[in-house]
Amino acid sequence: MRSKSASTFRRSIALHAVLVPLAIVWLFPIWMMVVFSTMPENAIFSPNIHLIPSNRFWENFLILQADTDFLRTIFVSVVVALVYTVLSVMLTSMAGWALARYSFAGKGLVLSIILGTLTLPYFVVVIPQFIMVARDFGLSNTWFALIVPPLFNSLGVLFMRQSFSMMPAELFDAARVEGVREWRIFLFVGMPLARPTLAALSIILFLASWNNYLWPLLINNRPDMMTAPVALGSLIGLTKVSWGGIMVGAVLLTAPMIAVFVLLQRHFIAGIAAGAVK
Amino acid sequence: MRMRTRAAYGFLAPYLLIFTTFWVWPIVFSFYLSFLATRTQPWRFNPAATWGRLVIDPAFLNALKNTLVILVIQVPVMIALATVLAVLLNSQLLRARGIMRFAFFAPVVVGEAAYAAVFRLMFNADFGIINKIITGLGLPPVAWFASPTAAMALIMMAVTWRWVGYNAIIILSGLQAIPQDVYEAATLDRVSKPRQFFFITLPLLRPIILFCVVLSIIGTMQLFAEPFLITNRGGPGQATETLGLFLYRQGFTVLNFGYASAVAYTIAALAILISLANLWLGRSAK
Amino acid sequence: MRMTLGRAALALVLATGSAPAFAQSGEITVWSWNVAASSLESTIEGFNAQYPDVTVTVQDLGNQQVFDRTLAGCAAGGAGLPDVLSIENHEAEIFWAQFPDCFTDLKELGYTEEIASGFPDFKRVELEPGDAAYAMPWDSGPVAMFYRRDYYEKAGVNPEDIKTWDDFIEAGKKIMEANPGVVMSQADLNGDTEWFRMIANEQGCGYFSRDGNAITVNQPACVAALEKVKEMVDAGLITAADWNEKIQANTAGTVATQMYGGWYEGTIRSASPDLAGKWGVYRMPSVTADGPRAANLGGSSLAIPSVSENKEAAWAYVNYTLGTNEGQVTMLREFGLVPSLLSALDDPYMQEPQPYWDGQKVWIDILGTLEQVVPSRGTPFFGDADGIMNAVQTQYINGGFDSAQAAADNAADQIAVVTGLPIAE
Repeated sequence: MRSKSASTFRRSIALHAVLVPLAIVWLFPIWMMVVFSTMPENAIFSPNIHLIPSNRFWENFLILQADTDFLRTIFVSVVVALVYTVLSVMLTSMAGWALARYSFAGKGLVLSIILGTLTLPYFVVVIPQFIMVARDFGLSNTWFALIVPPLFNSLGVLFMRQSFSMMPAELFDAARVEGVREWRIFLFVGMPLARPTLAALSIILFLASWNNYLWPLLINNRPDMMTAPVALGSLIGLTKVSWGGIMVGAVLLTAPMIAVFVLLQRHFIAGIAAGAVK
Repeated sequence: MRMRTRAAYGFLAPYLLIFTTFWVWPIVFSFYLSFLATRTQPWRFNPAATWGRLVIDPAFLNALKNTLVILVIQVPVMIALATVLAVLLNSQLLRARGIMRFAFFAPVVVGEAAYAAVFRLMFNADFGIINKIITGLGLPPVAWFASPTAAMALIMMAVTWRWVGYNAIIILSGLQAIPQDVYEAATLDRVSKPRQFFFITLPLLRPIILFCVVLSIIGTMQLFAEPFLITNRGGPGQATETLGLFLYRQGFTVLNFGYASAVAYTIAALAILISLANLWLGRSAK
Repeated sequence: MRMTLGRAALALVLATGSAPAFAQSGEITVWSWNVAASSLESTIEGFNAQYPDVTVTVQDLGNQQVFDRTLAGCAAGGAGLPDVLSIENHEAEIFWAQFPDCFTDLKELGYTEEIASGFPDFKRVELEPGDAAYAMPWDSGPVAMFYRRDYYEKAGVNPEDIKTWDDFIEAGKKIMEANPGVVMSQADLNGDTEWFRMIANEQGCGYFSRDGNAITVNQPACVAALEKVKEMVDAGLITAADWNEKIQANTAGTVATQMYGGWYEGTIRSASPDLAGKWGVYRMPSVTADGPRAANLGGSSLAIPSVSENKEAAWAYVNYTLGTNEGQVTMLREFGLVPSLLSALDDPYMQEPQPYWDGQKVWIDILGTLEQVVPSRGTPFFGDADGIMNAVQTQYINGGFDSAQAAADNAADQIAVVTGLPIAE
């Protein structure tokens, strides 16, 4: 018995000896993001090592706000991510519901197209999407362009279909016998039961939209419709730029998502584990 | 029954409209585009300028080579690390579990622009903290953005930092689905922990690890933001130019849509082929 | 109605030189980058003295982004474009080739042959395809060596004696020995081909022939330029540094020389004000003792997108800023943007000794070379060729080729694949 607990102790030491340094390395960039955001410019580019936050966050924020209207870009990002998430959850749960609970002509075809193209890289469609939205529709620099094209994402459909399929049929049949309309059954019976899945899906979709870089980069060329990641990315390439300010932007971009992650960790992990992103 | 069928179409229609407009149709249109010479107006049919150029274009081959290098080195390292992390984070002996998980999972929520900015500062050749640490250890500073090899290593480290937690989450959920009594039985039979890992855990995790590998392959094939932002558009020279970046350059800086579409299709075909090969290997190794 | 009024006012301005224009009003937005953006802002005051009702907003987006966003905007039928666009000359032809409809023919707005002939031909050739004139020449970039007087003196090096690149290498060794921690010069070896292009242009060579129909990057003069760059890197005289890092080095005093177009004068002066009196300028060395010593790097133009809703006001601003000595000399004085308007060169300001430069008459020294510059045509394929050369240069410097000729041949082959143009004999 004694030797067993000794060996457990040794294993525990070994485990932490591996994990703790690795964890420090992994946290380091996020920590440095915070440190840089609070440092004056000349301290960032100095031969000394700074590992402790300073007190220039507000000044750096003001510089950032002067370089690019960052609050505006955050506003654009929030609106886009919220509207996108709501729309996408609605569309994909309706489609998932149809594919899970009904049999109809063409169902096999729809499913096989969704599954068959699931693993195609986004890059296959980015050029035609751009030509269509920018040139043919003439909708560059619009909310529509930022929000609607990315709604094609089909993982949510499969995710919701899975969730709806696992519900017992009797639940819905009982309502049907009483003459409840199909859309009410969906809305008031199916959706509430799918709440955990909906939570996970919403978080993943919000995150994906919040961090989306390529599409908003391409479809916008006006500062007032730039999302925060694109604004930040464009500052990186500038010559006369405040890195302290950029780091404030990075913190403002990251902090809300970290908060979401910490507060809703369970749903978050469930969403990723289901492969609902990418 | 008939009414129900109609209801199904009603539920499906809004999504299908978007799906067809912004996904199915572009896939088809892209294929058509890939046969057009688009450098000058009007566009004309000329596969030699797109598919023909692809096989002899050194810049494309360079991007392909860079992408495959990342695929061969970074993906296995990251998946192995993610597996080990998942097992360690799942250990009953782990203290401060919440903080530990946070450390590895938090990068998953950090956007590309944000972490690219931090990595650029941390790895700055003259003033970056990484080189300060390296020289502090008595080693020569590394030219992270000037040396092709170092820049490539930087990209791989950045991607690993960002994505290892993501894969660990998936593998961890697979681990937690393995019934505990399998291990209890093995422990009673005096099977050592490392042997349990190799002969119980890994085989049971195989499908989920393969899933991670396939996801990572698809991700690597379209790696774009990291070389775009961290190494400043694939620098030095085009030493870190990936297929994703090459496509962006063809598509959106010289606006050669036809050629870029051919590149896009090649990326897709390669992603699918390599994924299938992996699944097939994973299966036959059983 | 507004159109006719605008035209009338314009005619009036053209006829009388600088009579106040009452009809132009509204807001115009200009896209530009860095010092160029600042210099465009500096002319607003003078412009508003004549056109008080036009509000000009200059947005500094960074060089690469102005290009990217202009292309994206043109591809989207002009969406999001401002009223005035800055376009670098060597990249200009890609726009006209892809989107002739995206830009206003300035001749329709009053850009007459008389005004146009005030600019040197090598600035105009890329901007006026066919009968149209899509942009007006802005600045030029006659190459000069910007050097730290104190570092050179300490090593006993007289810049007047540096006539060849080999002299430059010898001087560099002495200067680095006499000034520990100082590097002779810097080049953006990782992201740009600037040094190669400057020396190649000096030697009369470029990516393409002058008619734009053949590839010339593997001609002997270009090969020699590439070889010189590697020689200097190998000797440890030039280290890799991008735009920002060069500025940091200038300010920190860790570099002795920068080679750039004349517009870099303003960057040094405004970014390193504490070093007044310590910098000087001399002519770029040549490959051979009696070889040519003039080249051009950079230089831009201004265009007006066809979607602009205030073209007359935009044109008034462009014509004031670029077409008058007042506008051009303001940009030179404030930010060192070197005029390409020929009449501006006779302005008394050019003859003034410059206090920052220890009293040197830098503008005579820099602009004196302008006439000897060999034109180097951008063509619509500049971006492709430059991207290829950038990669080849990196490989070559890192030992990927046996010789400069092999590297240049490789670049020429790649450019041929991409452009479909033949390699010149």
